[in-house]
Amino acid sequence: MSQRELADIERALTDLAASLELPPTPDLAAAVSARLERAPAPARPAAGRRRWAWRWLGGLGGWRRLAVAGLAVLLLAAAVLVASPPTREAVARRLGLRGIGVELGGPPPPTATTTPGGRLDLGLGRRVSLEEARRRVSFPVLLPGTAGLGQPDAVFVSEVVPPGGRVDLVWRARPGLPASPFTDAGLLLTEFKGQPTPEFIKKVAVAGQVEFVEVGGEPAYFFSGEPHFFTYLDSAGNFREEQTRLAGNTLIWQRGDLTLRLEAQISKEEALRIAESMR
Amino acid sequence: MEGRPLDEQELVEQARGGDARAYEVLVRRYQDLAFRTAWVIAGGADAEDAAQEGFVKAWYALPRFRAGSPFRPWLLAIVANEARNRRRSGRRQDDLALRVAEDRPSGDAAPSPEAAALDSEQRRLLLAAVGRLGDSDRQVITCRYFLELSEAEMAAALGCRRGTVKSRLSRALERLRAALAEQDAAAAAATKLPGGER
Repeated sequence: MSQRELADIERALTDLAASLELPPTPDLAAAVSARLERAPAPARPAAGRRRWAWRWLGGLGGWRRLAVAGLAVLLLAAAVLVASPPTREAVARRLGLRGIGVELGGPPPPTATTTPGGRLDLGLGRRVSLEEARRRVSFPVLLPGTAGLGQPDAVFVSEVVPPGGRVDLVWRARPGLPASPFTDAGLLLTEFKGQPTPEFIKKVAVAGQVEFVEVGGEPAYFFSGEPHFFTYLDSAGNFREEQTRLAGNTLIWQRGDLTLRLEAQISKEEALRIAESMR
Repeated sequence: MEGRPLDEQELVEQARGGDARAYEVLVRRYQDLAFRTAWVIAGGADAEDAAQEGFVKAWYALPRFRAGSPFRPWLLAIVANEARNRRRSGRRQDDLALRVAEDRPSGDAAPSPEAAALDSEQRRLLLAAVGRLGDSDRQVITCRYFLELSEAEMAAALGCRRGTVKSRLSRALERLRAALAEQDAAAAAATKLPGGER
């Protein structure tokens, strides 16, 4: 009798579990990652690390291996950037900015190019004409129609990462478009095929503020505050992570399978106006 | 989890090698589990803090993690320890107030005692009875039935030896049974009153 009742109770508990509303889990992953980023990495057994790294690399396909190698370069660069100010300067010059713009499988990034009017090279890839950029990527390159902006002052193309290519359009600083603390660029527009992942919002929200806005009726995200990371899924389904380049505010939005990103030290309203004007 | 043990092992190994991104994937995967476990032990106010601290401590403890052993119990032991440290002594966990989702309107036919499905009133009563149990009983029942932890995970979360989990659970179920019997008796008495449907 007693056994029978206990079985009933267990069944009832199982049934109850199915209809329970458990408390919503806070975004621990983002909070934990933010804390680990600020904290020094723990000492790891070097031999073990190398062994595992190789084993892991060996198990990955060619594309992913490249991506991992690239990430390692980025991490290394990031480590150096954190490490010592003089080295930081050197690395920042060599890699463009903040260790970003290392092109996987491509030629080494050029040193900062001095163009008439200042440094615009952010280590973004190969500097080309707008026409050539349009030929090199698999999507139509959009330009802002905002009055006063005109054609970009510099165009960079990356054909390797992400698949389908990426175009970076840079406008020189001008009245109403303050220069980045790092370069003479005032506005950076990036276009590539890929989708922002739901997770990236959580990740960046830790370091800065994120606002949910709309561009062309599609959801968009406006980031302000601290420089942030940006994670996205490229068209080959690989996770990619980037960081802001201009240390300005950033608007990220989607149009079709295209992701667009705008970085500048301008207000949300101005950013939205530029974004809405993209044709 | 059962379908992807290799995946988890790979992630853990990468994290052990210092890959914070691999670790983030693990955190994302187990944050529900960790948070709920912390919440069962420490209560709503301290659960987030305990789970977050647990994940950070686990990261630093990873070099000591025995390769190939199951990750979840190991993680839960750390999180639960944080939760216990935060638990304010003597506090009744009133904030364990779980809610029963309102669904399945009870039909006209009264369900038999054997029926698996309870109506929402029965669920509420059962939940209330669980909530009135002592901490130890309530935790073991919650871990087993609501969080669906394995025996090893329960042992880790409750800080006891694996061998004692079963006996602890059956003792808790006995006490729940007694509590329900009392409740039933009270309810039966109530329905005998005129207008017993409240």
